[in-house]
Amino acid sequence: MHSADTPDQTLRIYYLSEEAVTIEFGQVIDLHLLDRVSVLNMLLHQQPFAGFCTAVPAYATLTVFFDPLSVSRSDLPGKTCFEKVSGFLQNSNRLTKGEVHNAGNVITIPVCYDKNLGPDLEEVARLHKLSIEEVIHLHSAAVYKAYMIGFVPGFAYLGGMDDQLTTPRKATPRKAVPAGSVGIAGAQTGVYPMQTPGGWQIIGRTPVKLFDAGRSQPSLLQAGDQVIFKPVNRAEFNELVGE
Amino acid sequence: MQIRLIKPGLLTTIQDMGRRMYLSQAVSVSGAMDTLSARIANKVLGNNNNDAVIEFTYADAEFKADMDVLIAYAGDGATLIAASQKIPAERPLFIPKGTTVKLINRSLGCRTYLSVAGGWDVPEVLGSKSTFITAGFGGLAGRALKAGDTLNGAEQVSTITQKILDSLKGDGLSYTNWSLPSQLILPADRKTIRVIPAHEFNWFDSQAILDFLSTAYIIGSNSNRMGYHLEGAVLNRVKKDELLSTAVTPGTIQVTGNGGMILLMADCQTTGGYPRMAQVALVDLPLCAQLKPGDAIYFKEIGPREAEMLYLERELQLQRLTTAVNSKFL
Repeated sequence: MHSADTPDQTLRIYYLSEEAVTIEFGQVIDLHLLDRVSVLNMLLHQQPFAGFCTAVPAYATLTVFFDPLSVSRSDLPGKTCFEKVSGFLQNSNRLTKGEVHNAGNVITIPVCYDKNLGPDLEEVARLHKLSIEEVIHLHSAAVYKAYMIGFVPGFAYLGGMDDQLTTPRKATPRKAVPAGSVGIAGAQTGVYPMQTPGGWQIIGRTPVKLFDAGRSQPSLLQAGDQVIFKPVNRAEFNELVGE
Repeated sequence: MQIRLIKPGLLTTIQDMGRRMYLSQAVSVSGAMDTLSARIANKVLGNNNNDAVIEFTYADAEFKADMDVLIAYAGDGATLIAASQKIPAERPLFIPKGTTVKLINRSLGCRTYLSVAGGWDVPEVLGSKSTFITAGFGGLAGRALKAGDTLNGAEQVSTITQKILDSLKGDGLSYTNWSLPSQLILPADRKTIRVIPAHEFNWFDSQAILDFLSTAYIIGSNSNRMGYHLEGAVLNRVKKDELLSTAVTPGTIQVTGNGGMILLMADCQTTGGYPRMAQVALVDLPLCAQLKPGDAIYFKEIGPREAEMLYLERELQLQRLTTAVNSKFL
C-alpha cells in the first residue's frame, strides 16, 4: 500500500508563484511516486496548455511554470491562472490512468575507481570493513534511478545504492571537488557535473561530461532515467578523457 | 556600435530576461535581477524586452564609446556622467565616439542596467544571453566583464530604434526630453515587500508568523545574485518535518535549520529542501533587486489572487509604455 494518491483521485496542487504551481504526489522518496511525476511530466510536454513554459520534476512533486499573461487570456475554465492551470492538470492526470510506469532511459557511465581519482575510496572501504574491490563491485553492480536533477546543472540524485555503502558526508566539505567525481552521501550516490565545493565521499571519477551547455540536451541524465556505473581502468579513463 | 570597459566595477554581467527552459536540468533562471529597470532601459530604445543588457552592481565603473552609440540606462545603483555632466536615466542617449562615461554612486539602490540599440551582441546559450557564472556559460564567455572587454550592439535594430538614433545623432552628446520613469510604476514605499504565504507557512509557530509580518528584517552582508540572508527575529517551527527537495524559484523565502531566512534571487538553485515561509510577489522582486546589505525591509501579506492581479496590471502598464515610445516615432 502506498500513502500516495492514485491517478483517479484529485491531485494536490499548491501555489508556488504567479507563474508556477506545484503538484504534490506524496512526501516520501518512492519509485511509484517518481513514476507518477514522470508520467504526468511526459503527458504535459506532449499535450501542453496555452502558456505552458516548462516543468520541474522533483522527488515527489512536479512544478509547472507558465506565462500568466497567456494563461489569463486562454479559454481554460477558471477565474485565476491558478484555477485554470490546476483544472487543466487535474484533467491531464485523469488521462494518465493505467499508464503509471515510465522506465526512463538506461545510461551507462564509465567510472575509474582509483585512489587518486577517488580520494575517499579507502576510507569508505575501511568504514564498512570491506575491501576496495568489494566497494567497487557493490557500487557498480546496482542499477540506479535518477530521482531528481538539482544542486548544480546536470547533477542527478541517484537512489538504489546497496545499503552496505551508506556513508555519512565528510565532516569538512572540500572547497573544490573536480568535475566528474563520483560520490556517496548517506544512501545516495551522484556525479559532480562541474567543479564545485562539496561534502560527498568521493570514490571515483568519470570522464563523461554530465553537463554540456553545447549539447541539445545539456544534462546527460534526466529525472526518471536508470543509471549503471561501469568500472574502467586508468588507461581506459585517460583514453576516454582524450575523446 | 561598440564600447570598451575601462573599469568593470564590483560585478558586471550581461543579462536578459533569463533562461527558463532548462530548469528541469538544474540550470538557474539567471537574468536581470531588476527586470523592471532592464525592460525600461530596453523600451526607451525601441528594443525588445528580452534584448541583452549590462547589469552593473554599485558604481565605480567606467566605459568608453569606441564608436557613436545609442544607449540608455535605468536602475538605482548609479548615475552616469560624461565630461563631468550627469546624464539623465530612463531615456535614449546618443554618445559620440571617444566619450568616456563613468558610473558614480547613487545610494538609492545597487543595480544599474545599460542597454544599447538592438541589444548587446553575445551568443545565445540554451535560449538566453544571460550570464550564469556558477556554470560558466552565457553572456561574455560565461564570466563577469573585466577591464578591456569590448561589447558591440546588434547589427539589426528596429525601425523605432533607427528613428530614435536619427533624431539624436550629431556631433555632441544628446538625449530626448522625454523619459519612461519607473517611479510612476513602482510603489512609493520601496521597503515594504508584498508576499504570498508559501506552502509550509503553517509549519511555523504563531510568534514566527507575527514576527515575519510585523518586524524589520535586515539584508545580510552575505547576499548576492543567488540570494539574500535576512537578519531579524528567528522563526521557530511547530512542524519539524523534513521537507523533500522540491522546486523553488526567485522570490522564494526559505527558512534554514537555525530559523534564519534566505530570500532566493535570480541565480538561485532550481530545487531546495528548506521549508518556505513566503513567496515575494513578482511585482516586488525588482524592489528586492535594489536592496543592499544593511537595508531594513518589512513584509506585507497579500493573497495569490491579488498578486496575480498586480502582475497582470503591471504587464499592461509596461505594454502601454512600449506603445507610448512607438507613438512618438510613427
